[in-house]
Amino acid sequence: MKRISDLSSFNDVREAGLSKLLPDRPRIAIGMGTCGTGNGAESVYHAFADAINTRGLGMNLARTGCFGFCAAEPLVNVYLPGKPLVILQRVQPNDVPGILDDLASGRMPTGLALCKIEEWDHITGHVRFGVGLPEIPHWHEVPFFTGQKKIVLRNCGLINPNEIDEYIAIGGYQALYKVLIDNNPDMVIEAVKAAKLRGRGGAGYQTGIKWEFLRKAQSERKYIICNADEGDPGAYMNRNEIESDPHSLIEGMIIGGYVMGATEGILYVRAEYPLAVHRLNSAIEQARECGLLGDNILGRGFRFDLQLVEGAGAFVCGEETALIRSLEGKAGRPTPRPPYPAEHGLYGCPTNINNVETWYNIAPIVIKGPGWFTETGSAKSPGTKVFSLVGKVNNTGLVEMPLGTPLKTFVYDVGGGGTHGRAIKAVQTGGPSGGCIPQEMFDTPVDYESLGQLGSIMGSGGMVVMDEDNCMVDVARYFIEFTHSESCGKCIPCRVGLDKSLYYLNRITQGKGTEADFDLLDDLSRMIRDTSLCGLGQTAPNPVLTTMRHFRHEFEDHIRAARCRAGVCEDLALSPCENSCPLHMNIPRFLQLLKEDRLEEAFVSVVMDNPLPASTGRVCQHPCDNRCRRTGVDSAVNMREVHRYIADAIYPSDRFDALASDIAARRKPLTGKRCAVVGAGPTGLACAFYLCMLGHEVMVYDSNPAAGGMLRYALPDYRLPKDVLDREVELIRRTGVQFTFNTQVPRDVSLNDLDGQYDAVFLSIGTWKESWVYLPGTELTGVIPALPFLEAVSKEQPVPLGKRVTVIGGGNAAIDSARTALRLGSKVTIIYRRERKDMPAIPEETEAAEAEGAEIVFLATPHRIVGGPDGRVQAIEAVRTKLGEYDSSGRRRPMPTNEIIRFACDTVILAVGETVDLDFAKASGLKIKESGLIEVDRYTLETSRSKFYAGGDLITGASNVSNAMGYGKKAARNIDRRLMNVRRWEEVFPSFEYDQAPPAHASEAPRHHVEEVDAAQRATTFAEATIGLAPVDAMEEACRCLRCDVRNGDH
Amino acid sequence: MPQKISLRIDGELIHTAAGQSILDAAKAHNKFIPALCHMKGLSSVGACRLCIVEVAGVGRLLPACTTPVQDGMSVTTQSDKLRRYRRIALELLFAERNHVCAVCVSNGFCELQGLAKRLGVTNVRYPYTYPKVPIDLTHPRYTADQNRCILCSRCVRVCAEVEGAHVWEISGRGVGSRLVCELNRSWGESTNCTSCGKCVQSCPTGAIAEKGFAVEEMSKRTDPISRLATLRAAGSDNKPGVIL
Repeated sequence: MKRISDLSSFNDVREAGLSKLLPDRPRIAIGMGTCGTGNGAESVYHAFADAINTRGLGMNLARTGCFGFCAAEPLVNVYLPGKPLVILQRVQPNDVPGILDDLASGRMPTGLALCKIEEWDHITGHVRFGVGLPEIPHWHEVPFFTGQKKIVLRNCGLINPNEIDEYIAIGGYQALYKVLIDNNPDMVIEAVKAAKLRGRGGAGYQTGIKWEFLRKAQSERKYIICNADEGDPGAYMNRNEIESDPHSLIEGMIIGGYVMGATEGILYVRAEYPLAVHRLNSAIEQARECGLLGDNILGRGFRFDLQLVEGAGAFVCGEETALIRSLEGKAGRPTPRPPYPAEHGLYGCPTNINNVETWYNIAPIVIKGPGWFTETGSAKSPGTKVFSLVGKVNNTGLVEMPLGTPLKTFVYDVGGGGTHGRAIKAVQTGGPSGGCIPQEMFDTPVDYESLGQLGSIMGSGGMVVMDEDNCMVDVARYFIEFTHSESCGKCIPCRVGLDKSLYYLNRITQGKGTEADFDLLDDLSRMIRDTSLCGLGQTAPNPVLTTMRHFRHEFEDHIRAARCRAGVCEDLALSPCENSCPLHMNIPRFLQLLKEDRLEEAFVSVVMDNPLPASTGRVCQHPCDNRCRRTGVDSAVNMREVHRYIADAIYPSDRFDALASDIAARRKPLTGKRCAVVGAGPTGLACAFYLCMLGHEVMVYDSNPAAGGMLRYALPDYRLPKDVLDREVELIRRTGVQFTFNTQVPRDVSLNDLDGQYDAVFLSIGTWKESWVYLPGTELTGVIPALPFLEAVSKEQPVPLGKRVTVIGGGNAAIDSARTALRLGSKVTIIYRRERKDMPAIPEETEAAEAEGAEIVFLATPHRIVGGPDGRVQAIEAVRTKLGEYDSSGRRRPMPTNEIIRFACDTVILAVGETVDLDFAKASGLKIKESGLIEVDRYTLETSRSKFYAGGDLITGASNVSNAMGYGKKAARNIDRRLMNVRRWEEVFPSFEYDQAPPAHASEAPRHHVEEVDAAQRATTFAEATIGLAPVDAMEEACRCLRCDVRNGDH
Repeated sequence: MPQKISLRIDGELIHTAAGQSILDAAKAHNKFIPALCHMKGLSSVGACRLCIVEVAGVGRLLPACTTPVQDGMSVTTQSDKLRRYRRIALELLFAERNHVCAVCVSNGFCELQGLAKRLGVTNVRYPYTYPKVPIDLTHPRYTADQNRCILCSRCVRVCAEVEGAHVWEISGRGVGSRLVCELNRSWGESTNCTSCGKCVQSCPTGAIAEKGFAVEEMSKRTDPISRLATLRAAGSDNKPGVIL
């Protein structure tokens, strides 16, 4: 390499580099950072090399770093002279021949194209590739890159990190040249100060001020250090920066050395980053050869050299005083500050330490000036920051955004939302030192102050996205486990305090925690934060403190109910399906029993877990499907339909009678306690069944003439035939449950009466009242609420339905109303204000409604119902909406446009939600929440009045059948506990002996779906619209289960 | 002549020399700040965190042993928060190792025990760890029982800074930290140890003790070591290795 000693030799190197970057023949550059290599870039590179060689093609092949979009690796840049640079994504070795064919004939391989770059601002320089290729989006049009501003990552993934001349070609080392020519170090420091560049390692101290300290320090020897000991789990910004663009770091440090008066610089790089170490070492070597390091740099008489030191493998060595100790060859333990390194640092000499990314910002500030720098970012925190966006988002990778960008932009716009459409719960920023920010606070701008206010920190830039499958207690436990094992052990709070914190968190995640543990943990965490010696200890409790603050209910679930909603804490869940089932059915058990051809036992297992298996088998929202691990292989086991099959195989058969007697015989001896259940809906039935099985005398009151509640009076027959429900109620009746129908509480029987006659009362009336909606025209004839409509149809009462029906809403009641109206001969349009994926209705139901001829209009908000002179509905007008910003539920908010759409109709069915009959709640004299729902203890379901419990829709608002039944089951358990004062809940449940090994060969069959009756045929009748699984299919489904419930199997 | 400055400690106006720590200034004026890792004459390491104090205008708590006094400073050494945190720190120490005062040579003379008494630590709320840690009885005169070690590193510093023998070091990290003799050999095999006994006298608990003492007999004296260290710092010609 030629030594650069003046401008002309500088320009020579520059020309050489430019001819490599923009050759007069095709250039192919493979993204070969650790991320690319991990995704197979090495084999792609060799495939290109071999093919170019054997075919004798005149093409340049190069390695480059990572362009940031890790989810789309391996990335390959292709350049044809005069055309834009095109970035290809997910390139595999077998794509190589096709790409070369295209390039050889002068075409761009557009099939794999991610984006194109026509010109690129390297900030220190500018490169024009060419224009054209309109079919490929510009890089900034790709959602992942939208809003990103690449200052630190200006060269990453575009130049060859192994070639210094390519770096020089795009303006590299010009800032150094300028600084040396200007010979005015104070001016540089003033510029860095004016740019308000804050330390990118996390603490955010003003870099310029720090530099000034060292410049003013009087000493023969001064050191500058680059902290590249990046150790946060989930963070890899620095690794990628060094791997992709080592020279920017070197240039920043030489400038720093010059202005601060240091002659020696040390790069402390994490030893676990071998590629970064290798590239940096070779870059240092090249810089030395070119005369950019060593004596007489650029012929200006300045001497400075760099030395790379590999880290000692301890997280704490990222703390500056521990890092210095480690460099001195001592154990990496921090020392108290003061004295600060600027006075007493490495070997006692004044020392300045900056993070990798801080150094990357130096050359741009020198070239462009502080004014340019402060244009980006927020007033207090100018510039950009690189984040590694990882976790449960679709687009993972390195994201460089202006500081102050709201968190939701990262998660939803850049990240593309949650994987598998799951709801995002929180973002963890700052690694083990940071905290968890809940989804409701995603409006928070990402800068040093705002994150600090939420108890988190910016840290080095890790951003881990978590969804509903992440347990926040486990997250806290994980990070404490990390800091616990990385604590140096010098100070008591961090050494012993974290050990005890981990003890409590382990207990809580095992379901053994108590409320006293929670308080001790809280107190201890504050003590560790406030009294620890160094940053590690001071920030280590942040994950605990923030999760305690923002996700307290999850801690309570673990402590009070021994439940982990996310299903992460293994000791608290049998399997993901069981954990997600509101009734906590032992799903693997009934699948296995069926697999072993033990149908009758499977039935007992199912019924004892869920007393309405045939009904729920038809209408449940099946949360188990979403959690099934088989989803990772092909698709979830169809658990709902299997228990429908089991129930349907027994109920109508001659085996039912004997089995019902068996179950009734399992009832525990009479306790002499009397319980009342108000409401014979699914919640009440479930509670009554279990109370009765526990030996209590149970009376169920209902205002209707038959049991079933919503199942009977709101669900149309085509979804749930009444004879199915009748047989299930029959079983419950045979266990001993008694019913008093046509009796309304409190009209016919007052709560005081119940109080006097019973030892416990469970209230479970449903949400029979339609939510009030402000919409002009609701008073017109022809506007009917959904539930009364469905109820009237099911009671075979006359309904005033016209020929053209519009249904407003997107829930199950809306779809049920639509399909019912279709069956009554009307033409149906459904108007829903959001997108299809946001509909609360079961997707299969929505699809069935469309197949039967219902039209669904999405993104339209009704704004008035138009009436004719006769006071009858004539039409409905809706405002067309478009998707706006993400709201606090993580869905994009519909924003009104000027477009009005009109639907002619004679009937409008309002299905915009249901609420509890407020009159009941008010008359009950129980404590009511602001929402009008009855207030209960979340865990025991006790109301404000002793003896009285409440569950189901009455406490949650409109929900679904399995949720409601889950409350009934839980209430029975708590009522029994209170009445008997002993734990006997588990005694009711039969035990089964069945195979406890994971299947050696789980069935490879795809999921079996239920057969649907032909749409045209079913749309005219109320006969059941689906036909349950055939016996062989049900068996096959059972064989698909992977048996996640087995913990210590042979395999 | 060192510059004179004024500061307030718990409201009382104090005139003192610049350059010293808050802890020293407080001590000189009979203000009690608890500390375990600090010993006069040795370098301060700020490890035990018992000497944390509140300084007006500073958001965080500062260790009195390593924070220099400044003119106009206002220091609070006692507050509910400080008492609570110090108590937690002591409880954590008791829970970490196997401190059984009733069978300890230093019972009645132990600094950890004394501070616990003084700060009202009557019970430990945290679960005991009960670690298995080594006891080294190989030295002819002394014993090192890590069940009683609080990792204050006073032995490490006195041996390095005053005796110059560098026998002791702390190995491992986190709760796995252990006191080690030289390169983790038994004390009896040590080639550096001069058997001067400074570590014994410096140890605030019964972790390093002299053989031949029964329970409640091992009282210690740090003053001579502190005096020696101070003299040496002042330029006296005392050489390292002087046996007291």
